[in-house]
Amino acid sequence: MKRLVQLTRTLLTDWFRNREAVFFALLFPLILLLIFSTVFAGGPTDFEIGVQNNDLEADGTPTELSVELIEALQTVDPLTVDRIERTEDLSTAQNIEERTGQTRVLVIPEGFDERVREESARVRKVVIQDTISRAEADLSTAQQDSIQEGLDELSSAGSGKTSPGAVHVTLLTVPDDEASGAVGSIIDSVIATFNNRAIGIEEPTVALGAEERGQADLGAADYFLPAFIVAMILINGVMTVPSAVANHKRDGTLKRLAATPLRKHEWILANVIQQSILAVGIALVLIGVAWVGFGVTAVPGPLAIGLILLGAIAFTALGMIVGGFIDDPGSAISLGGAIALPLMFISGIFWELDLMPRTLQTVAEFSPVTHFHRSLRELMILDSSEGVWVTAGMLTVLAIVFLAGATMVTNWQEFD
Amino acid sequence: MVRSVPNRFTCTNSSQLIYPCVNNYEYYMAGSGSAAVIRTDALRKEYGSSVAVDDVSLEIHDGEIFGLLGPNGAGKTTFVEILQGLRRPTAGSATVLDIPIQDGLETIKDRIGVVPQSFHTFERLTVRENVALVRDLHSDPLAVEDVLAELALDEYADERFHSLSGGYQRRTGIAMALVSDPEVLFLDEPTTGLDPSARRTTWEQIEGLPAQGTTVVLTTHYMDEVEYLADRVGLLVDGHIEAVDTVPALIDRYAGTVKIVVHLPADTAQSDHESVESTLESTARTVHEREHGELVGVFEDRQAAQDTYSSLHDLGMGHAIDLVSADMEDVFLELAGKSLTPGGERT
Repeated sequence: MKRLVQLTRTLLTDWFRNREAVFFALLFPLILLLIFSTVFAGGPTDFEIGVQNNDLEADGTPTELSVELIEALQTVDPLTVDRIERTEDLSTAQNIEERTGQTRVLVIPEGFDERVREESARVRKVVIQDTISRAEADLSTAQQDSIQEGLDELSSAGSGKTSPGAVHVTLLTVPDDEASGAVGSIIDSVIATFNNRAIGIEEPTVALGAEERGQADLGAADYFLPAFIVAMILINGVMTVPSAVANHKRDGTLKRLAATPLRKHEWILANVIQQSILAVGIALVLIGVAWVGFGVTAVPGPLAIGLILLGAIAFTALGMIVGGFIDDPGSAISLGGAIALPLMFISGIFWELDLMPRTLQTVAEFSPVTHFHRSLRELMILDSSEGVWVTAGMLTVLAIVFLAGATMVTNWQEFD
Repeated sequence: MVRSVPNRFTCTNSSQLIYPCVNNYEYYMAGSGSAAVIRTDALRKEYGSSVAVDDVSLEIHDGEIFGLLGPNGAGKTTFVEILQGLRRPTAGSATVLDIPIQDGLETIKDRIGVVPQSFHTFERLTVRENVALVRDLHSDPLAVEDVLAELALDEYADERFHSLSGGYQRRTGIAMALVSDPEVLFLDEPTTGLDPSARRTTWEQIEGLPAQGTTVVLTTHYMDEVEYLADRVGLLVDGHIEAVDTVPALIDRYAGTVKIVVHLPADTAQSDHESVESTLESTARTVHEREHGELVGVFEDRQAAQDTYSSLHDLGMGHAIDLVSADMEDVFLELAGKSLTPGGERT
């Protein structure tokens, strides 16, 4: 026990004096947490759009309905509308960003007002005729004649200069605008309301009601904090540890230790204990920063700490396996990265699993990292223990298997 | 730090080495009256098809400095690493402190000290922290401060290992080995890469260890190192032990008494070269040519050497002639057929 304690203390001291190790273990996840929490804590998404209004009166002022459409767009929250001067008709432009500085431009065509009025009158007439045909049996001949007279007047109200059919406004976007679909849908819904009003429908038939349910005040940092604690454990265990072990093998430090009464399993355990202590310590630092910087409400209880320890044991043991059969520190860190990075990417560390293709979501369910950070989130953020015991069991099995593997592949004799 | 010191004999031959004055290898195998702390019997180590240690049988006695001399790649490190429990023998057996290496490695490791050839340790730890680490890994260690003071390291105790010079790094290694109060200390090429001053300091520290009850096993390719330090020397060539004895006995047996070194200039005529060579061959036990045009004749009889010296002088070719005592280099040449470079390579 004395040997284990002394070696663990030595490894910790060595770690704290190693700037690279401290950077990758502590500052790297801290920087990630700050970046991701800041980027995704920016509030509602805002889409900028330019509007070119080509529908002007003879005196150069915009027509009434084109103004109404623009004002309707301006009332929609995610949209920020910039007016674009009518120096040229952008509907034929090849590169709108070059011409306007905008990546999205809505072009209102000339004659918009007039055509909307004619089209809405035509649509209104169709609606009335449809209504009358349904009630024809109940109407007297005089009533029917009177209605027909009104419909004729409605027809003559239009100029008759335009052909029937929808009036087209055009949304121009640059090819790599990933938000064009979302912006198109928003404009579509604004136009639908505009259409209804044009034919006299003010009250919607179906209205959407939205309410927030669940724990309030959860921000991006609440999501990323448990994820980056897991990322830190993975980076330390599977990347830093193999590199350090390979380095000790290469420079002869390990051979020197093996020439003392220290046993192989004590060497492995000392590394695992060192990383477990660091994992809890760094997790507390991350939580502290998230609390001060982002007001995160996460509180790591005993179960969460236990889960962090189990994860640190399992992934450090995995790192000891990698370090056990690779002698070059550079190769060890590369192989560790080849294991840790895909695990992190596929397991929802940097983004929610819902954003990934269905197949990858299925694959992610087989990743222990997915369950690890999901359970940590349940414990720390949602104050729930759903699935935690399964995760704990899984990490325990992995820890036992990896520790056995590390004991098998670590050489305590026959050093190169 | 002082353990009981074994009895020593006093030599009666001209070398006046203090221990032990016998030049019969079989005698050592049978035991010299001083207990063997290391005993190997047909110890063999193979790496695939190459044999690193080839059936080595050897005894190393309590309280001696035993030098294992050989060129690079001779199998010295492999041999001592088997004894340290760092390698498994392919065949044969060995005991260290009467404990078979197959059965009691942990006990052996607790009672020995090791300074490996390419010594390194936790470089961000201080000298004191590194020594303390090894102290805590052993069951009956010495006080760290005592060991640091003994090796004059107390001034550097708080320096980190990586900031030390090569000499002090090596000295830290010795401190880490000595803090366990070892009964046997293995020093693998302890002065390689050190400047002359640091070598001399290291020698002085090693020299005093037997008086404190520590048996020293020293592997080296430096002739002067074994001549200065070793009570007995084992010559290891291509995994074989070619001879084991005291330095004077080895020189007596394999290198004669004195040698003549003739320094021939580069533009020496072939006929002159042949004249010198034949003059040497007429009386010397062996004649060989070294680098830089040196012809060396080894003589068992000092008078014959002096006569030959006069004859060579009379040739009047203007070449320099030295009459010097034979040394371990001549022994190595005799046994290995080649000489050693300062870097430990055979030429």
